[in-house]
Amino acid sequence: MRDKFLMAYRSIRERRTRSILTVLGIAVGIAAIVALMSVGYGMEEAITSELTVYADVIAVFPGKITGPRYVELGGFTDRDVRDVQRIGGIKSIATMTYDAAEVEYRNKRVPIFIIGGDTKELGSFYLEPVGLKEGRWLRENDYKACVIGYRVANEFFSEKVHVNDKLVINGKKFIVVGIFEKGSMLYANDVDPHIFLTLRATKEVLQTHEIKHILVRVYNIEEAEAIAGEIKERINANHGLDDFATAMTMGSVIDQIGTVFTIIRGVLVGIAAIALVVASTGIMNTMLMSVMERTHEIGVMKAIGAKDSDILSLFLLESSMVSLVGGAVGCGFGVIVAEVISFCASTALGIEMTAVVKPAVLFGGIAVAMVVGVLSGLYPARNASMMSPVEAVRYE
Amino acid sequence: MIRTEHLTKVYRMGEADVYALREVNLEIKDGEFIAILGPSGSGKSTLLNMIGCLDTPTSGSVFIDGIDTASLNENERAEMRREKIGFIFQQFNLIHTLNALENVALPMFFAGVKRKKRLERAEELLVNVGLGDRMYHKPSELSGGEQQRVAIARALSNDPEIIIGDEPTGNVDTETGRAIMDILEGLNKEGRTIIVVTHNAEVAARAGIRKRMRDGRVLD
Ligand SMILES: Nc1ncnc2c1ncn2[C@@H]1O[C@H](COP(=O)(O)OP(=O)(O)OP(=O)(O)O)[C@@H](O)[C@H]1O
Ligand SMILES: [Mg+2]
Repeated sequence: MRDKFLMAYRSIRERRTRSILTVLGIAVGIAAIVALMSVGYGMEEAITSELTVYADVIAVFPGKITGPRYVELGGFTDRDVRDVQRIGGIKSIATMTYDAAEVEYRNKRVPIFIIGGDTKELGSFYLEPVGLKEGRWLRENDYKACVIGYRVANEFFSEKVHVNDKLVINGKKFIVVGIFEKGSMLYANDVDPHIFLTLRATKEVLQTHEIKHILVRVYNIEEAEAIAGEIKERINANHGLDDFATAMTMGSVIDQIGTVFTIIRGVLVGIAAIALVVASTGIMNTMLMSVMERTHEIGVMKAIGAKDSDILSLFLLESSMVSLVGGAVGCGFGVIVAEVISFCASTALGIEMTAVVKPAVLFGGIAVAMVVGVLSGLYPARNASMMSPVEAVRYE
Repeated sequence: MIRTEHLTKVYRMGEADVYALREVNLEIKDGEFIAILGPSGSGKSTLLNMIGCLDTPTSGSVFIDGIDTASLNENERAEMRREKIGFIFQQFNLIHTLNALENVALPMFFAGVKRKKRLERAEELLVNVGLGDRMYHKPSELSGGEQQRVAIARALSNDPEIIIGDEPTGNVDTETGRAIMDILEGLNKEGRTIIVVTHNAEVAARAGIRKRMRDGRVLD
């Protein structure tokens, strides 16, 4: 047995160029599978992890979402907030007011959405996940200060807005004390195009006492649906309407996105299947070629007394060694490619994303290399060994 | 002893049948040195391939030591080639990835001889054909004559009774051809049966028996 290993090893080493090409042919196919799967899993993980940060949140709006349309039905009152506070299982409540306002900077006026609320509560919902690029967060007594989103600072005005610059919001002057980082995925729309003020400043600027948005955090995610139902019921009762409030758990959003995931995963499986077919054809081709060009050698071995089983076991060993190395190299390449793709995707799309390399994918890759490699190596070896020695020797 | 009975080989070429051998009846006794001559296409190689168990007849039989080789299965035929017959080709047909020593040891590898033992014997065989200083050369680093001597050493690897050479001197110069015939003669003196095909009258002259072939038949 050791002799056979040595023999197979010699044969691989002596045919260095051919062996390297065969290994590469196998590696490329396996790399494609591993890279695709790892990027796919990475994408999935990136989105779910971003969502689970939000999983304990219930968003409450005064209005109704029907399909893509949102109909706003006024605002919440302080009584609504007190009633919600009395529901058990709630960890924290943030009340917010928002509306569009006219904002002026260096003689350019743009309508921008203003969001105001308790600074601590706003902080826990927006500051923690997104973070500041410059400056500091709002303090409770910052009546003349604002923190602006990334796009407000960089895109909305003809010139960039910096910390300590002044903005005029609905005729009142505010000093910019902080600028948000670019929000990733979920937060991009929530933070980037907005200006954040203290609750008191917002009420003044927007001339309103209405509360437009209540964000509730619950202790136990499993109770979220039930609590959301109760919130809705109480607020609806206060206003004497059936559909005054919408209370949406992030869990239900995640569920919706979950169905998107089954689709994404289906697509991934499809791509993997294609990669598998491409890889297999490539492996088969290189293996067939490398064994077929040795038909003459097989003939000579038979002529000097090798049995068919001798030849098959030699080629079985050889092709499994080559396939194993090809599979392993392919896994390595695949991981590198997946990392590179993930890195490019995260910088290009502004998503936090790393490739997720599952051991099962690596084992699967090597298994595919072995099975396809060995079978497609054995097939021509078997054909050649079944020829008469004369025929095989004559084969060029 | 080798005996052929009504040995016939027919190749189908599309519609036409090519008779490479027609009812060949030939007897070669143990220890004989026989040269087979004949024009190109007369069936010499085909006959050697049948005797050497490299190919199967269309009809008729080849008996080696009383065994009908056509009745053997593939494994038994392989064993026959491995143990009883040493085949030397015109094109040498060494394995180009193996060095001289490993080429000579290869038939013993298939016979399951231990590594140490087969390398020792291979070395001895190479020394006997005058290649003691070329053992670690690859075939591509050897001259034609040297390659043919490696091939002879390989043919002797499992100590066969019969040595078959299909134009063993066909690809080497006259001088080297003589050296190769010297070796074959020596092997014949050891008691081995030697069968060679040749186009060369000088080579044929050194064989004890000469047979002529024409159109797939052995002439008397
Ligand atoms: N594989 C084959 N397929 C078809 N015809 C073949 C095959 N092998 C040999 N033949 C034919 O059989 C006949 C005998 O061929 P063979 O090789 O035995 O001749 P030979 O006497 O060895 O000739 P040479 O001296 O040229 O080597 C020839 O007519 C040849 O064309
Ligand atoms: Mg011939």
